[in-house]
Amino acid sequence: MADAIVLPQNPPISLGARFFRLIPGVALLAAIGFAGKLLEKNINAYSKANHLTFPNIEYVLWAILIGLVISNVFGLAEIFKPGVATYEFWLKAGIVLLGSRFLLGDVAKLGGVSLALVIIEIAGSLAFMTFLGRLFGLRPKLTSLLAVGSAVCGVSAIIATKGAIDADDEDSSFAIAAILALGAIALFTFPLIGHALHLSDQAYGVWAGLAVDNTAEATAAGALYSDAAAKLAVLTKTCRNALIGFIVLGYAIYWASRGQAQNVTNKAAFLWQKFPKFVLGFLLVSVLATVGFFTKDQNASLANLSRWAFLLTFAGVGLRTNFREMRKQGLRPFAVGVIGEVAIALFTLVLVVGAARLFHF
Amino acid sequence: MSNSPAAASSRSKLSLDTWAVLVALAAAALIRFGVIPKIPW
Repeated sequence: MADAIVLPQNPPISLGARFFRLIPGVALLAAIGFAGKLLEKNINAYSKANHLTFPNIEYVLWAILIGLVISNVFGLAEIFKPGVATYEFWLKAGIVLLGSRFLLGDVAKLGGVSLALVIIEIAGSLAFMTFLGRLFGLRPKLTSLLAVGSAVCGVSAIIATKGAIDADDEDSSFAIAAILALGAIALFTFPLIGHALHLSDQAYGVWAGLAVDNTAEATAAGALYSDAAAKLAVLTKTCRNALIGFIVLGYAIYWASRGQAQNVTNKAAFLWQKFPKFVLGFLLVSVLATVGFFTKDQNASLANLSRWAFLLTFAGVGLRTNFREMRKQGLRPFAVGVIGEVAIALFTLVLVVGAARLFHF
Repeated sequence: MSNSPAAASSRSKLSLDTWAVLVALAAAALIRFGVIPKIPW
């Protein structure tokens, strides 16, 4: 969660030069996102005008698909890479702004249910992934990384845990590749399953937030279903993200006790360092919206700005997904990931359907 | 307080999360105080 924006540092370049290096990639994200939006609008208009039956493909999917084609067919030119890497920045800014669409009462009510489900999901996922890793004979630290990536929040959690438990670069690359590949699969399968099961927007959103690992993919999977589902997916995923520090701390203490990682001397500082600050930003904007700091029109503008930020994120999700790179990482970690993720998806689906009946959402 | 380039660099290096929060809050302030009157979709 606390990854700094890191650009190549050799030779040293000024802040201004670093800023200008971001422009081509950010412009590419914006162009792809906007192209997705135009495609959705124009295809719908054309279908209606010509009385054609054509499935409504949301701008989210178009943006991801265009990004996937560029990344996997043509490759991403070096000049675009620094700017494309900002897609996580837009995601987090978008989540902070999305706070304007949640009154604090909603956050307390929905967040309370989500948090309870998240705790059950994390405990179950950590236990199951650890069991699978041992069953398949994966290296113990790779198993830890896969378990944290599946249980908490994808790539960010893996990077945070890698530093805390002194894992190898190779192990973290394996784990990240598996989580990204599975996130890409979830994007296309979750909405289909949700529609097939006639899940409500709320139930589907909570499920996507619980079961899709990376925040960008969880948000996209929610948005592919509906706006309301995207809101709930973000809220649930934010609850998962908020717990990252505790899980990473637990793993750091475990590996330090085995003499294979450095001791954590100041646990409070460790938790603060790993805590995702955008969760605090999200809560602050939600508090401001609740006390009437923004007018209705301003709230609508904030929500629209959040959607624009997500549009850049979705383009980035497609652009950074490179199937060729993923294939290079090997089959066994991927197999563990697939089995684990399918089991977690089923487990969380049962949890959500049960909770939806109990709490009527 | 050290004025070495390394110290200055570490002082100025905010996390991605913090940058995202600061930029989002600045945008919210611009909208709240009417500098940006409307964001269309």
